[in-house]
Amino acid sequence: MKHSFLDRYSDRDSVIHRLDPRGKLVVTLAFIVAVVLTPFSSWLAYGLYFAVIAVLIALSRLPVSHFLKRSLVIIPFVLLMAVFIPFFKEGEVAGSYNLWLWQVSVTHSGLQVLWNIMAKAWLSILSLILLTSTASFTGILKGLEQLRMPKVIVMIMSFMYRYIFLLTDEVLRMKQARDSRNFGGGRKLWQIGTVGNMIGTLFIRSYERGERVYASMVARGFDGHSRTLERLCFSRRDALFIAVLGTALISIGLFNLIS
Amino acid sequence: MHIPDGFLNTATVVATGVVSVGGVANAVRIANKKLGEKHIPMMGILAAFIFAAQMLNFPVAGGTSGHVIGAALVAILLGPWAAVIIMSVVLFAQCLIFQDGGLLALGANIFNMGIVAGFGAYYIYRIMGSLLGDSSRSKLVAGFIAAWASVLLASIACAIELAISGTSPLLVVLPAMAGVHALIGIGEGLVTVAVVSVVLSTRADLLKLNRI
Repeated sequence: MKHSFLDRYSDRDSVIHRLDPRGKLVVTLAFIVAVVLTPFSSWLAYGLYFAVIAVLIALSRLPVSHFLKRSLVIIPFVLLMAVFIPFFKEGEVAGSYNLWLWQVSVTHSGLQVLWNIMAKAWLSILSLILLTSTASFTGILKGLEQLRMPKVIVMIMSFMYRYIFLLTDEVLRMKQARDSRNFGGGRKLWQIGTVGNMIGTLFIRSYERGERVYASMVARGFDGHSRTLERLCFSRRDALFIAVLGTALISIGLFNLIS
Repeated sequence: MHIPDGFLNTATVVATGVVSVGGVANAVRIANKKLGEKHIPMMGILAAFIFAAQMLNFPVAGGTSGHVIGAALVAILLGPWAAVIIMSVVLFAQCLIFQDGGLLALGANIFNMGIVAGFGAYYIYRIMGSLLGDSSRSKLVAGFIAAWASVLLASIACAIELAISGTSPLLVVLPAMAGVHALIGIGEGLVTVAVVSVVLSTRADLLKLNRI
């Protein structure tokens, strides 16, 4: 399988890629906080946040299509959650429609809320795509560990990251075996049983793999710590990055307060 | 059911965030005390299993699709605190990798799909187990009901959070979310039963592990 489908493009090189993952994590969090706290109807602020993201995307020299594709995967789910909003907000009616038995009306304030939520969600999604496309997952984990995330959580996450690929390969092999034994024909009930057995078998196999891996790790001296040669270093460039982005976010926020 | 950023108001983000951070911290403390490093690789692989299982979407009525949460399975096998840890890890990774669920909404998502679903499933499984007896058939029935209920409980929690945030009125979002997830819960129940029955027939000892 292609092993880069999770943190795709994170192995490329650009100004943004070279930054310390800790700095990028902090800035991403700050960006999302700023976006989420932006009051309704400040169009300009949303425009400015979008400009910030656009500049960062340009600096990262990643294909814009990557960001659009990733957004398109998740936006429908966001829309599904938000789609009822314009119909149930009270206020001035923008349009009303007769749908069979129901009289449905859309309000202006409802549309504004919908627009707002979608803008916030999309900006946050873009910033997260930027983070994971410019920092490797292991780098992010290392950064999280140094930002005082509990060690157990970081370790479990790094194991999870390693085994996702193995499990996906396992699923593909099992599917191939099933298909070559003429899945698709036969009774429906039998098929459900097959899928159930596949999932159950996958679980047992992953569990037993976990036991084997642990035994071999202990045999090699595992004591609850994972040591790597990779060292994160926080340079002047990272400080500058945080300072510039911080100033930008604060000035957009102040600008919002004044206007 | 993954809530994106922008849907919750500040009070809900802070409240669910505080509860989830406290819950995860307590879960980590209990895991450190009772499990030791022996379970870390195992829990990592279980997290990968849940992560992979969540990538498989199955169609639900009305053009929507759902996927398993997995909290019930972990809660039945390893206990509710383990479910909180594993679900937090999975949700955090999904937020970063697939942007599924927001970063600020992570507290709410961990609360719904980790704490509510995990503890709900665990206690329903225990109660059903004591009502139905100790046969393997009753374990499967209890597992199905616990898994189904965990999805429903999580979706109700999610609906209440959205309503408190003023995103949509409770009378609309609650029946909509609970209705869709009552169907998705059937899928969750079937998957959970499938795994538990394979575990019962091949490695029954796994159902007698130290739970936390």
